[in-house]
Amino acid sequence: MTVKDCRRVLLETAVLVAVGSLIGLSLHYQMVIDAFSGDATVSPDHPTSETSWEAFPVPVVLQEIDTLLAEGAILLDARDSELFSDGHLPGAVSLPLTTFEEEFTTFQKQVPKSHTLIVYCSGYGCPDSFDLAVKLIHRGFEDVRVFEGGLPQWRDSGRPVIQGRP
Amino acid sequence: MKHTERIAYHLMRIVLAATFLYAGFVKTSDVLGFARQIAGYQLLPYAVNVLVAATLPYVECLAGALLLFNLRVRSALLVIGGLLLVFMAALVSVLIRGLEIDCGCFNPGDGQGVSAAEALWRDVALMAVVVGTWWLRAREFSRAR
Repeated sequence: MTVKDCRRVLLETAVLVAVGSLIGLSLHYQMVIDAFSGDATVSPDHPTSETSWEAFPVPVVLQEIDTLLAEGAILLDARDSELFSDGHLPGAVSLPLTTFEEEFTTFQKQVPKSHTLIVYCSGYGCPDSFDLAVKLIHRGFEDVRVFEGGLPQWRDSGRPVIQGRP
Repeated sequence: MKHTERIAYHLMRIVLAATFLYAGFVKTSDVLGFARQIAGYQLLPYAVNVLVAATLPYVECLAGALLLFNLRVRSALLVIGGLLLVFMAALVSVLIRGLEIDCGCFNPGDGQGVSAAEALWRDVALMAVVVGTWWLRAREFSRAR
């Protein structure tokens, strides 16, 4: 393989990556823009049973939670009530994904839809917080965020974990 | 190139093409699910996970299509080899940190969790196929000259 060959292959490789990326960006540009601007992403490309639009909740990191809580945000625990009883973030409200439909009616009466909600579960491997956040956005809640680090990251940072029933 | 080598070359090329076309295609149908799985690796800022999820499947599809049609094979192999190296590095970091996540290698919504260790072995095998395909193609060209 000559130097000229090498250059040509590398150039083609770069073009291939660029073209593939541009196709992806052209199809999902709104999703990417929303993710970088911190807005809830709305994408028409993956219809769900509830709506033809899917929401992508805003991510929140551990350091932002204190500020959001001081501004009145509500912490929502998406795990089952047994896990909630074993340990949860101080002030968190239990709204398990598994019993969402049964508990949502009461929840929506107590919490205005403009309220900031921070949903968490058992950390990065746990999809329940994301799924619960999507459901809440579909039901009209305007500012739903996901703390993906969840209980493990909170606990490992040395912050208090509360035990007790919902 | 001997007859058996030619068959081996085309077989490996088609295996890689089918693998990456499938992997790319299923991810394009659930970009957000794929973004969530990338987030599970805890390697990138959150928004970058979405950017990668929006672009990577199309690069995989394009490289797979080129391999399938036997066009720009070396460039496609280079892209696939590069992607596999990145995937392997990410999986090794997952194993070192002891994270228990689904690798997100194929269909994000299929619920068939593949562990990082399994995915790493699979990527090593695919990398061997990439190297083999490259080598056989180089032999063909060197003999043709």
